[in-house]
Amino acid sequence: MIQYENISRNYGRKEAVKRLDLTVRPGELLAFLGPNGAGKTTTIKMTVGLLRPGTGTVRVCGIDVSSHPREAAGRLGYVPDQPYLYEKLTGREFLQFIVDMRGMDRSLAQERISQQIEAFSLDEFIDDLTERYSHGMKQRVVFASALLHSPDVLIVDEPMVGLDPKSMRMVKDLLRDQAAQGTTVLMSTHTLDVVEEIADRIGILDRGELLFLGTLKELKQRLPAEDASLERLYLDMTG
Amino acid sequence: MASAIEKSLAAPDAVTEAQVFWRLRRRLIGAALRSLLATSRLRAVLITLLTTFFWFGLYTLFFEGFTFLHQETQISPDLLARTIRSVFSVFFMSLTMMLTLSTGIILYGGLYRADETALLLTLPARTERVFLYKFQAAVAMSSWGFLLLASPMLVAYGVFVDAPWYYFALVGPFIVGFAFIPCSIGAIFCLLIARFLPLTRQYVVALFVLLMIGSVVWGGWSLASISQDGILSTAWLREMLARLRYSQHRMLPNWWLSAGLLEAARTHSRGPEDHPAADSIKFLCVIVANSLLLHQIAVWTAAKIFRDSYSGLMTEVSRRRRFITWPETLVFALVFFYPRQIRLLLVKDLRLFRRDPVQWSQFLIFFGLLGLYFLNIPSLRSGANQPYNGTMMISNLNLAVVGLILSTFTTRFIFPMISLEGRRFWVLGLLPVTRTRILWGKFLFAASGSTLASCSLVAASDLMLRVDLPVLVVHQVACVVLCVGLSGIAVGLGATLPNMREQSPAKIAAGFGGTLNLIVSAAFIAIVVLTTAIPTYRYASALDRAHILLEDHPEKWLFWLIASAVANVALGTAAVLLPMWAGLRAMRRMEF
Repeated sequence: MIQYENISRNYGRKEAVKRLDLTVRPGELLAFLGPNGAGKTTTIKMTVGLLRPGTGTVRVCGIDVSSHPREAAGRLGYVPDQPYLYEKLTGREFLQFIVDMRGMDRSLAQERISQQIEAFSLDEFIDDLTERYSHGMKQRVVFASALLHSPDVLIVDEPMVGLDPKSMRMVKDLLRDQAAQGTTVLMSTHTLDVVEEIADRIGILDRGELLFLGTLKELKQRLPAEDASLERLYLDMTG
Repeated sequence: MASAIEKSLAAPDAVTEAQVFWRLRRRLIGAALRSLLATSRLRAVLITLLTTFFWFGLYTLFFEGFTFLHQETQISPDLLARTIRSVFSVFFMSLTMMLTLSTGIILYGGLYRADETALLLTLPARTERVFLYKFQAAVAMSSWGFLLLASPMLVAYGVFVDAPWYYFALVGPFIVGFAFIPCSIGAIFCLLIARFLPLTRQYVVALFVLLMIGSVVWGGWSLASISQDGILSTAWLREMLARLRYSQHRMLPNWWLSAGLLEAARTHSRGPEDHPAADSIKFLCVIVANSLLLHQIAVWTAAKIFRDSYSGLMTEVSRRRRFITWPETLVFALVFFYPRQIRLLLVKDLRLFRRDPVQWSQFLIFFGLLGLYFLNIPSLRSGANQPYNGTMMISNLNLAVVGLILSTFTTRFIFPMISLEGRRFWVLGLLPVTRTRILWGKFLFAASGSTLASCSLVAASDLMLRVDLPVLVVHQVACVVLCVGLSGIAVGLGATLPNMREQSPAKIAAGFGGTLNLIVSAAFIAIVVLTTAIPTYRYASALDRAHILLEDHPEKWLFWLIASAVANVALGTAAVLLPMWAGLRAMRRMEF
């Protein structure tokens, strides 16, 4: 579960996130939508402990991320918009580093690594140095690393950028599966059809404010229009 | 499965966590070394050879320096010991300041500007462990130069005084223990500035650099103002020691280091209660204790404020800058004789250069240091009774130094220019401008900028050394040839051996093409300088003989001066045309 308790964050004088109050429940997939600069990535970075809220508290599984970032990180899996991998490590060595960092038992860790390699079809390149990987390959390895410890909370920033249709399908199925298994999934994206297809709830952010929070059905009810596609509704709402 | 993972998941304890990070570092270093040996053997061999050459060169220089002090000055053993102690103290004091600054800057880049930090901060790692991991890398990166400079001096001193074995055994622990003191101070400052003065950090660093430069200038001025009569005499040395007393304050780590090492090297006993080895180890303990304390303070500081400072810097709003454009407008007007498209390319490259602090700051540092050195040239020039060929040797060495520094600059910044166009080559490729023009535009940009800076420095050096007009002209021709030739080599080879996949100019320069560029440039400099130096030296020697014997006619050497200038022009033309021809062929075949 993720709880945002009246959080704000400024960039200089500009308020990037304004008094956000929100709870994402276990087993729920919440998608943040919003134009560039809306505050989606800032919110995500506060959730994973990279940024501190100016005011308010972010809790992951009841743990205050600001005061206990290490404990919170133990419950989280995070896939950033720009995946970082060590160029001079192979994908397998990178996954091994992640399981070591998470203190996983050796035999279980090997089992989980093998499962993730299979789940994300990494076997063809997992023993190559990651400097040779394409963006999509990197993204798949980072996804695998985020799921190695079966996190309670999965946070994904712009997951579809640079992925081919097959990989996109894989990611959509995976996010849905994770939510079905009880994981709290928070996703930020610009890809409206993905949101339409897999999100349980949608949060529309603009200029740091949460303009809407609810299901697609509730959104359609709120803004009745003849062409009630998500794109039309989103554009109407964000201007 | 989930419950099994839950059971097995226990955040690693501090020792296990440290082992995980060390394993990561070992893997990264191992992979980097394997990659270096597999893809850049030439570079690896060159680095090893040059480092060995540099180390033994320094060792010889220091050993000869100590021997000279001992044999030529005929000062008392006590004064000699005090002089060496003072030299050590000043040397290590300068390195303390440089290590503090360089560790602070490198650590800032590693902690706040590296993508790796974001990954590590989202893993269940202790904040102080992330800091330590980056701090160790910063210490290694900032201290290798210190090791390379200090070790030959200390080994040379040990051999010179025939020091006991434990002196050589203690040199390593002393250097490593000492290096952690300024490095930890630099790290603490880095964290505090990033946390509490994030918006003014550049000004704080600039102020520190200014203070360093100010203290160096003040120190140099203080020494230069000692009367030059009776240089290296007992009175002169005593005066110098008095003025360097500030570096030997008992609370300064550089004094602990020099005193500890000199105690270890001492072979004579001052009495039955005197134990030089024990005294030396006492100083080593003081250094290690202070290192550990400062290291621990740095770790505590990081644990307290690193995450806050990281968050603060990541949400810092970059100030909207108003860029000045008049330098490009001026250059555009000044090079009116070039085709318009080349002028536009020149302006674009100049603008990129001006807005990249890494490029212009290194250019300024290289040529600024040369400028400072050249300002001291008047003290090297010939007096009425000193031979002119000695002055000529210095003048030719200055030409060589300018060439060598320029070659590092062209390798680091000019060679990667075509590679850096790689990902945006379609912009140039789709414009109505021929690739020939693009390449010549790069060449003109490199050649014009370097000629302006280098020829001014060489002219200043020659004027201060008071060389006569024919030599000054020959040196200017050689300097233009060096600038134009090195630019041609860098641009031509850069287009012939591009690395379009790499975005970092440092990595492009460090690859095979960059290394080859450095070697070809060094060979070219050697040929041009020798072609210039031999006739000018012979000309100066002839002038010396004419002055003494009143019979040799130096005029006949004027012919050889002219011949050397003509030969250099031919060399320079070849150095431009051959690589540019190869580069143009490669460019025409390039796809985007």
